[in-house]
Amino acid sequence: MSEHRQDPALAPASAGRGGAEDAPRAQLDGREQAPGGASERMGRPSESRDPKARRIGVYVCHCGGNISDYVDVQAVVDAVKDEQSVVVAKHMMFACSDAGQQEMEDDIAASDLDGLVVASCSPKLHVVTFRGVAKRSGMNPYEYNQTNIREQCSWTHTDDRDGATHKAIALVRGVIGRTRLSEALEPLVVETTQKALIIGGGVTGLRAAIGMADIGLGVFLVEREPELGGWVGKFGPMFPHERDGRELIAQMVADVKKRPSIKVFTGAEVVTKGGSFGNYQIGIRVSNDPPETISVEVGSIVVATGFDAYQPAEGELGAGLPGVLSLPEFKELVDGSKGPLRYNGRPVRSLAYIYCVGSRQPDGNEWCSRYCCSATAHISIKVSERDPKVRQYHLYRDIRTYGNFELLYTEARKQGAVYVKFPDDAPPVVAMDKGGGLAVTVRDLLSGDEELEIPVDLVVQVTGMVARKNDAMVGMLKLPLGRDGFFNEIHPKLRPVETMVDGVLIAGACQGPKSSAESVASGLAAVTQSASVLKKGVAELDPLVATVDIDRCTWCGKCENACPYGAIEKLSLNGREVASISEAGCKGCGGCVPMCPENAIDLRGYTDLQITAMIDGLLEEAIA
Amino acid sequence: MTARVDRNLYPELQRFGATDISSCFNCGVCSAICPLSVDGASFPRRMSRYAQLGLREKLLASPELWSCYGCSECTDSCPTQADPASFMAAARRYAVASYDRTHLAYLLATSRLFAGVFVIALVGLLAAFMYSVHKPVDGSTLAFFDFVPSDVVHNLGIVAMAVMGVAALVGVFEMVRRVLRGPKDAAAKTTLGKVAGAAVYAVGTESLAQTRFRQDCADETASGEAGETRPWYSQRWFIHFATMWGFLGLLGATMADYGLELLGIKAVGTAVPIWYPVRLLGTLAGALLIYGTTVLIVRRLRKSDRASRHSTTSDWTFLSMLWVAGLTGFVLELGLYLPQAPAWGYPMFLLHVGVAMALVLLVPFGKFAHVLYRPIALFAIRLRG
Repeated sequence: MSEHRQDPALAPASAGRGGAEDAPRAQLDGREQAPGGASERMGRPSESRDPKARRIGVYVCHCGGNISDYVDVQAVVDAVKDEQSVVVAKHMMFACSDAGQQEMEDDIAASDLDGLVVASCSPKLHVVTFRGVAKRSGMNPYEYNQTNIREQCSWTHTDDRDGATHKAIALVRGVIGRTRLSEALEPLVVETTQKALIIGGGVTGLRAAIGMADIGLGVFLVEREPELGGWVGKFGPMFPHERDGRELIAQMVADVKKRPSIKVFTGAEVVTKGGSFGNYQIGIRVSNDPPETISVEVGSIVVATGFDAYQPAEGELGAGLPGVLSLPEFKELVDGSKGPLRYNGRPVRSLAYIYCVGSRQPDGNEWCSRYCCSATAHISIKVSERDPKVRQYHLYRDIRTYGNFELLYTEARKQGAVYVKFPDDAPPVVAMDKGGGLAVTVRDLLSGDEELEIPVDLVVQVTGMVARKNDAMVGMLKLPLGRDGFFNEIHPKLRPVETMVDGVLIAGACQGPKSSAESVASGLAAVTQSASVLKKGVAELDPLVATVDIDRCTWCGKCENACPYGAIEKLSLNGREVASISEAGCKGCGGCVPMCPENAIDLRGYTDLQITAMIDGLLEEAIA
Repeated sequence: MTARVDRNLYPELQRFGATDISSCFNCGVCSAICPLSVDGASFPRRMSRYAQLGLREKLLASPELWSCYGCSECTDSCPTQADPASFMAAARRYAVASYDRTHLAYLLATSRLFAGVFVIALVGLLAAFMYSVHKPVDGSTLAFFDFVPSDVVHNLGIVAMAVMGVAALVGVFEMVRRVLRGPKDAAAKTTLGKVAGAAVYAVGTESLAQTRFRQDCADETASGEAGETRPWYSQRWFIHFATMWGFLGLLGATMADYGLELLGIKAVGTAVPIWYPVRLLGTLAGALLIYGTTVLIVRRLRKSDRASRHSTTSDWTFLSMLWVAGLTGFVLELGLYLPQAPAWGYPMFLLHVGVAMALVLLVPFGKFAHVLYRPIALFAIRLRG
C-alpha cells in the first residue's frame, strides 16, 4: 500500500480549476447583486419538480487510485446507472481535473441535466469546485451534491474491497435520493457596515488598526489596559531586527493618532455583542469616572488579545528560589539596566537558562511556544555584548531557532554560550549552593549522559506562552477554543484568521504562540479578510440555513436554547409568538431541527425529506 | 559521579593551540566521517564536548585522544569550521603536559621562546660537557671515540635514558590511573589471552605495522582530486612508517654497536666496511629517517596537505631535532670514509650526540611522548572492546 493514500494532504487539493477546501462564503459566487433584488429571491423555493422526472448525472472519481484501488468504481457505476432519474453515470480518473470538469459540463448541456452528483473526496475539499461546474453549465450550484467515498470507503476499508464497494454504492444511492429533492437556491446577501472592531491594543491590534484605516475602514480599537502597547511596549531591543519594542510601539501609537478614522478606547472592555455578520452592535465599557458604555456598529471584529507568560508553580525547576527568574522577568532586568549585569546589587557572572519550562509537557502544556529559543539566544547575545566574561549555560531539550533565527543560535555559541541537552524525562535540578549562589545539576546527553553540576548566579526559566483567560469575551463572541485554550481558526492554511463565527477574526498570539512579526502578519491578514467582506458593502452567505414553518411553530423556545449562535429569537406575528431565525446569523448546523416538537424547522439543502430519501438509499444497499 | 563544569579548561587548551571549538554544536559529523571512530566510539566529537564543558578529568582519561592519526578529514567535513583535527592534536599536547608533573612539557608546548631557548641550551650543555672531556686527536681520519672517550658518551647516554625512563614512568602512571577510572564493561572478563592479544594488537599491528594508519586512514591525494591516490612512498602512513623505522633502526644499530663492544666482538669506533651488518642497518635506517623527516618538514612548511596545515612549537621542535640528529649522523658516517678528516667533523659529532641525547631526554615532554601513550591507549581501547 502506498504511503500517500493515508495522507489527505498529499492527495490533489484540486487537479484543475475551481476552488479549494471550503472557500469563504463570500467568495462562493462572484455575482454582483443589488441587495434589495436579491433578498426577494433569497431562499425562495424553486417550483416543485417531480423527483422522478429529474435528470441527474452521477460521476464516480478514481482519485487516481486513491479510491479505485479499494473501491470497484465500475461496480458503483453499474449499480446506480439504472436508478430512477439517473441519466448519466460514469467513472473518472480525476473528477476535479480540467478534463473531468469539462466532461461534466458537456454532459450537463448534452443531456439537459438538472442535478449533479460527484462521489469522490470530502465535500470540504471540492464542493466549491463542482458547484462551479454546475454554475458554468447554467445549473443552480445548489443542485450539486457530493458524497465522500475516499475518506469513508477506500481509505478506511483497505482490508475489505467488497465492503468498501458496497458502502460506496450505498452512499451514492443516498446522495442520489437527496439530489432528487434538491432545490435551486440563491446565496443570501447582507449589507455590511464598513467599520471594524479591534480588541487588543498590542503590536497586532495596533498594526491591524493602521491597516484597516489605510484601506478605508473605520476602526474602534479597544484596549483593556490604560496604555496601548501590550507586551512589545515593555520590551527593549527585540530579535531579529534589534528594534526597541518601546520605540516601535511609540511609533505605531503616533501613526494611530494620525488617523482620524481610528477611535481608541483604553481602559475599556467589550461587554455586549448583538446583531449578526456584517452588522454587529457592540457595547464598549470605558472605565471613566463614572464608567460609561458606548455603543458602536461594526461589520467585523478582530480579536487580538494576545497571550500570558507561563507562570511556573512554586518549586517547579527552582521557581521561588532567590535568583530564579522567568524569561520575561529576565528580559525586563536586561532591558532596564546598562553596563555589566547585576541582580539584587550583586554582579551576575554566570547564569543558566532552563528551556521548555511549562512547555512540551506530556501532562501539562503540550505545545512549543516557538519564540522562546530564539528570544533566549538573542538575550544571551545581549548579555555577552555587555560583559563577554559572563558564563552562560543553555539547558535545553531541543533547540528550535527556525528560519534565520539559526543565526542567533550560532552567534550565541560564538559568544561562548554553552548549550547542554538534557533528557526529556530528566529535567535539571536547581538548588541553593552553600555559598548562597545556585547550583544546577543536569544530565548532558552530548557528553554521553554525564551528570554536570553548574554553579551559577542566576537561573532563567525559559517560559512559553499560554492562552489568556477571558471567559466573558469568549462566551460573548462565541469564540471557538482549542484544547490548549487558544482560539481556533477554521483552517490553519486556507482560512488562518477566520473563525466559525462569520465576521469574527483572530490575529496574533491569542490564536497560538507567535513571534511579534508573525503576530503582525496575521493582524494584517485579518485586515485583508475584513476588507474583502466589508469593502463591497454587501456580502454573500451560504443559503443552507434553517427555516421556520410559522404555521406550525408554537414558540416553545427549545430551538432558541439549542442554537449555539444566538440566531433564533421570538417574533410576534399577527398576535402569535413564533420563532424567527436570522439568516445571516444561522450557520446551518442543524442543531435546532431535531429539538422542534412540532417539526416546524427545516434546513435548506438538508430537509427532512431529503434526509429520509438519503436513508432510504443507504438502506436499499444494506438490504440488498 | 557529578562533574563540575569548568570554563577555565578551554582557555587552557587554547594555549596548546586548540582552535575555536565554541562553534561546535555537536552534530557528530566528525565522528561519523572518521574512519577510526567506529564500533560506538564517539571521537572527536565527545572530546570537544568535554572541552566545551571543562570536563578536565574526562578528557585526560580518554584513550581515544590517541586513536587519531591526524588526517584532518573531520576538519574538512565540519559544518561549523570548528577544526576538530587541530583540537585533537591540541588535546594530546594538553594531555602530555598534564601527565608530566614537572611543568616542563607545559612550557615546551605553550611557549615558542622557551622551547627554542631550552632545546638549544640543552643541546649546547650536552655538547659542552663532552667537549670539556675531549682528548687531542691527530687529523688523519675521523676518530670520534678518540675525541670523546666512548665510555663518556655511553655513560652519558645511559644517564639520559634513565632520567627519561623515570619521567616516562611517571607520565604513564598518570595516564593509566586516569584511564583505569574510565568506563568498564562489567560483564566482560579480562583474561590473560585478551590482554596478550590487545598488547600484540596495540604494539604490533597498529603501532609497528601501522596497519590502521595504512588501511583505514584515507590519504588525501596530491592534487586533491577524488580517485587519484598518492604513490605508496608519498602516503602519510609511509612517511610516518619511514620516520619511525628509521629512528628504531638507528636506535637498534647504536645499541648493537655498543653490545658488540660489551661482547668483545668489536670496539666502538673501529673502522668497518659499509656492508658490515650494524653499519648497514644504521645507514639504511638513517636514510629512512632523513627521508621521512624531510618530507614531513617540507609538507609543514608548504602546508601542502590538510594534515599539515597547522604546525605548532611542539611539531617543529620534535621534527627539527629528529631531522638534525638523522642528517648529522648520516653526514658523519660519510665523513668516516673521507681520506682526510674534515674540519667540521668533530663539531658536528658534538652536535649530533647532543641533539640525539636531548631527543631522548625530552621523549616524555613533547610530541615524542606519543610513542609512550599511543600504544597504551590503543591497548586500553582494544581491551575494553
